Amino acid sequence: MNDRRRVNGPPGGTRPPVFQSGLQSSNPSDRPRRQRQPAELRKIFLKTGLIPSASGSAYLEFEPSASLAANRSNPKSMIPPSSALKLTCTVHGPKPLPRSAAYSPNLVLTTHVKYAPFAARRRKGHVRDSSERDLGVHLETALRGAIIAERWPKSGLDITITILEAEDDRWWGEPPDSHDASWGIMNVLAGCITAASAAIADARIDCLDLVAGGVAAITEDVGASHSGSGRLMLDTDPAEHASILSACVVAYMPARDEITELWLKGDSSKAVLDDGDSRQGHDALIDGAVDAARGSYSVLSEAVKESILNAVAHA
Amino acid sequence: MATPTASAVPAAPPSLSLPPSQFARLQPHAYLLAHLSPPPASNQPSIRANGRAPAQFRVTSANSGSLTHTNGSAVVRVGDTTAVCGVRAEILHTDDIASWSVSQASSGNTHKRRRLGDLGGKPTEESDDTYADAQDDEDRAHIQDLNLLVPNLSLSTGCAPGFTPGAPPSSLAQSLSHQILSLLHTSRLVRADDLRIWYQPPNLGREDLERHNEDEAMDVDAGPGAAGLSKPREIKAFWVLYIDVMIISLAGNPFDAAWASVLAALRDTKLPKAWWDIDNETILCSDDVSQARKLSLRGFPIASSFCVFDADAAAAYRAVVIPKADEPKRRGFKQTWILADPDGYEEGLSQERACLVVDKESNGQGKTVIVKMEKHGGWIIDTEDLRQLVSMSAQRWDEMKQILEQC
Repeated sequence: MNDRRRVNGPPGGTRPPVFQSGLQSSNPSDRPRRQRQPAELRKIFLKTGLIPSASGSAYLEFEPSASLAANRSNPKSMIPPSSALKLTCTVHGPKPLPRSAAYSPNLVLTTHVKYAPFAARRRKGHVRDSSERDLGVHLETALRGAIIAERWPKSGLDITITILEAEDDRWWGEPPDSHDASWGIMNVLAGCITAASAAIADARIDCLDLVAGGVAAITEDVGASHSGSGRLMLDTDPAEHASILSACVVAYMPARDEITELWLKGDSSKAVLDDGDSRQGHDALIDGAVDAARGSYSVLSEAVKESILNAVAHA
Repeated sequence: MATPTASAVPAAPPSLSLPPSQFARLQPHAYLLAHLSPPPASNQPSIRANGRAPAQFRVTSANSGSLTHTNGSAVVRVGDTTAVCGVRAEILHTDDIASWSVSQASSGNTHKRRRLGDLGGKPTEESDDTYADAQDDEDRAHIQDLNLLVPNLSLSTGCAPGFTPGAPPSSLAQSLSHQILSLLHTSRLVRADDLRIWYQPPNLGREDLERHNEDEAMDVDAGPGAAGLSKPREIKAFWVLYIDVMIISLAGNPFDAAWASVLAALRDTKLPKAWWDIDNETILCSDDVSQARKLSLRGFPIASSFCVFDADAAAAYRAVVIPKADEPKRRGFKQTWILADPDGYEEGLSQERACLVVDKESNGQGKTVIVKMEKHGGWIIDTEDLRQLVSMSAQRWDEMKQILEQC
């Protein structure tokens, strides 16, 4: 089917480049290593108010991992070792619902997440695919619990997120037939939640609290003596871990100690945490994700404070 | 009784006056006009509502190469308009081109012979004019017919309230994508030679003979026998550049920002070394950065847009036109202003637009070349004005070149 509203490429289609080094079985030692402590988060850059035509906006960027930073300062390979999340979020509204819409006593929230075509290792299409729609639904549930919706009857709020660079789902050198869950989407969701919360605060929408996103995962050491021994890691970059057993993303409101969205993937039931941790797998995961969310909350609150100070200075 | 009325009279005017921001929304035309034509007594310069002089462009910044999964990328910010461009290269095999074998056979031997002569290296455009002319035709044939450049611009990023995300591209986005595509084609910015992936079939140990023939083919019209001896190298694939522009923030004049980001991203683009692997029957690439090469772009076209603000748009319609009469120059009492790099507010108040894309020959030292000139929506800009706009665009070219070369 041809999209007549866009400039289309060659009708026969094109193929992504195949790298010679990717054909040979790649050396597992080339895999980027996690340089952070298990409980250490990546730095987050978060800034609000970059898009003046929107009522609220935010830009979020994760610090590149050590391997990516090294490849960027001293480029050796055309294949990037890992990637760092970059996204923009805009909030338009509250605005009156169209006449045709049904009556709603609450603020109607619409979330929209779209990857840029160049965001991921594989070129994304221009039309939203199911994973992007899924992200939008998760984001909506995360935010709906925080917004005091009954203050804007018959109004709508549009939240649009454009992902300029997504997280990898796995290491690129993994054999192409290895079937693993798409872990990167969880980091993306955590970033979306934090950025959207900042943008909503920038738009001066009343909320119960700021919502921060956090990710934790139980990873398995490759050289472990017995299988099932996992380690709890916060803010995992999937490219850096050979095997992720289970991962969890939460949207968390620190002031009320409430979780508005919880998404747990993988099997954490068999995981036995080492270093004397007797918690169940999923308990540890949720606690870890909440800790990660607390970390991103500190950045989020600073960004919102800055946004308010700016507004006061301009008023 | 007198005291309360006296105090009430001075209190009344503030309740009727409006803050400037509200006046700007209620009476946008009058607001901009008041800025541009201040009362002569006030001795103020004519200035736009956004504080710029009519010929002044917005502050521009650019940054390139920050996106990981692209071959080249750039962010350009012109005032509050932000464009992010990512260039992604993919491979188009000649096997996947339906008409490839037919079109190659019909294009004749002349091309093949010239390609043989071209083995040594890429001659520069300046060195040989006739060569360049012939190459242009071939460039156009390959880049345009095979759609090797695929620019798409997206406005559904929440950049402005009017564009609903998720909907198909608006007509503005479609028109901007198409303008970028046609400008890429007409400016011949990308060389088709950079996008070709060649394959030299091995000649079974007759290298010396081949070299000899190749030298001969340059000056002597080689006979069919000689051509049969040396196997000509053939094109096995092309690089296709997917150029995606996301307008992150829209505050007027998206084309200038989008085009600048495309140019900066193409300047940043690196294509890996690629070759035809006969064992796998596919194209393989090397991931070594030192073997990758940058695109060699033709020229440095820079777009600058203008809009015309008319104090009384209906005056021209009402005027009595006497043919051949000595029309008094309306500029005596200035009624129209040409505004450079309009923001969203000014764009909404003007009908007539002009867009100029200029380049300067020999790296800024030579004369100014107009790559594209577009004017529509009215008849206020005349030849003299256009001349002035070209010189303004040339000044803008110097400015933009400095910004884009530093990023």
